[in-house]
Amino acid sequence: MSKKVIVEYSRYPVAFVALFVQVFVIILLLMMSSFAFAAPGTSRNQLSVFAGMMTYGFVTSMFLGFTLWEMGFSLREEQVRGTLESLYLSPTNKFSNLLSRIFAIVVWTTVMCAAAVVLVNLLVGGLPLQNVAYGLLILLLSISGFLGLGFLFAGVTIKLKETAQLLVNGLQFFFFIFSAQFFPFSVLPQPVRDYVSRWLPVSYAVDLFRTTLLGIPPELMPTQPLTELGIVVAFGVLSPILGYFAYLAFERQARRAGTLGEY
Amino acid sequence: MTHRSSENGRRVLAAAETVGRGLGLGRPGLRASADVVWTVFVARLKIISRYKGAILLESFLPVFFAALPILLGTAVAGSEQNAANNFFQNTSSAGQGTSQYRLYMLLGSSTFMVVSLMLWLIGYWVRREQETGTLESIYLAPAKRLHILAGVTSYSLVRSLSAFLVAMVIGSLLFGVNPFDGNLLASIGYLVLGIPALWGLSFIFGALIMRVKEANSVIQLIQWVVPFFMGVYFPVTMFPPLMRIVAMTFPPTLMNDAMRSSLLNISSLYGPGYIVLGLMFMAAWITPLLGYEFFGLMERRIRRNEGVGQY
Repeated sequence: MSKKVIVEYSRYPVAFVALFVQVFVIILLLMMSSFAFAAPGTSRNQLSVFAGMMTYGFVTSMFLGFTLWEMGFSLREEQVRGTLESLYLSPTNKFSNLLSRIFAIVVWTTVMCAAAVVLVNLLVGGLPLQNVAYGLLILLLSISGFLGLGFLFAGVTIKLKETAQLLVNGLQFFFFIFSAQFFPFSVLPQPVRDYVSRWLPVSYAVDLFRTTLLGIPPELMPTQPLTELGIVVAFGVLSPILGYFAYLAFERQARRAGTLGEY
Repeated sequence: MTHRSSENGRRVLAAAETVGRGLGLGRPGLRASADVVWTVFVARLKIISRYKGAILLESFLPVFFAALPILLGTAVAGSEQNAANNFFQNTSSAGQGTSQYRLYMLLGSSTFMVVSLMLWLIGYWVRREQETGTLESIYLAPAKRLHILAGVTSYSLVRSLSAFLVAMVIGSLLFGVNPFDGNLLASIGYLVLGIPALWGLSFIFGALIMRVKEANSVIQLIQWVVPFFMGVYFPVTMFPPLMRIVAMTFPPTLMNDAMRSSLLNISSLYGPGYIVLGLMFMAAWITPLLGYEFFGLMERRIRRNEGVGQY
């Protein structure tokens, strides 16, 4: 199935180029916005810790965004083309069917994120980069957790159909803001931080990943980094399982109602 | 003899007309054309009325989009007051000094939503018709493409303007800004004047989607390229010279700038008001013509090669 997705991708080279350009544009947009708010005379080097926080947060947002977009959208495409129902009648494993949809995009996102980090490095003249191996482990756990959200969203797409497109857009911006993907948690109002951000496992994944690479204590649990790690591990392990079960529930509901093929 | 020949002539004309119409050579009148636009418009509205969640969500997106730089700016500057001061100083040196950065971002984001939706909805419409296999049928229908496109773009316009208004209201309440402090009427006037140019751009975008056959990635890319070149978060004069020229020739940048200058009482990047107005009229006249011409060109090329049915 992954091979099928890669072959499909290879027929739309524009899509790959568009994704690559997109990463640079987002980085430039955010960097220029931060320059607009920096005190006049601030050197680019002085912005490096902030740029690191933004860039490493951006890496997590890319993985989250593409997992959400790709899984739901490829199912939606099957719905529109009328091939979803046929696919469900074939003896394909449902789990691998879902997972294969994002394999290509995850590989490509990794390349794009590496390029983005290099770009920001060039723009600000060096980003702080520490505990790389530990950081990558956290990123891996985070991606696993995002997969769970992707499974859940795939189920929601079957249910909501057209609205799912905007829902994923909304979700992306929701996590941008409430999981503070491009700025420190400290700028969020206290009630938002306490009653929204702290309840989102994604926030802990973002926080732990970037503070690890920056070599500073995590913002959400500065005195309990191990507890924060525990939350990220639990997110990475439980989220795909729960997400997949949620997907199965949505799918069963659609099959019973006979709406699987409807779009 | 004369009577017989004129009778024959009438019969021949009637037969020619019947054959002509039968072969699809008949030209629909103004009323029939208006009917096509209206039917397409109503059909699109009916379809979207089945997805109420979509309408609700797209009204909130500009608010999120504006919140992003507001929070980012506060983080960079250290406090809200510093953010306002720094933004004023930086935008002043870029020729548009304002400390009302919240309203600046909100207006920019809401205007961007109008532009984005206009492009997005046309792009998705073309792609959806391709995927569902109905694009070729549309081409066989005895209706001009321009009228069908006019119907779809009118629908996009209604949808995007509703999102703009709702986002402005919600955003103003949430960020504690008052858009009535500035010249709101002039700002809306500039928005209306900018619409024909958006129509033109959406034709170009639709043609591109028809050609590249990959809507999602292109739309995702456009979603970031457009705000970048429109100067949604900062004046485009902060760009390096070449990029600035590209950004300033982009019609949505002009529209955004004109709206901002009237609502925030700041000077326009394009010069005095009469120049801005002149440029907007020019964009409103030229862009749709260019856009439709481009759409036609791309369409002819596709029909000659693989045909519009392929996706």
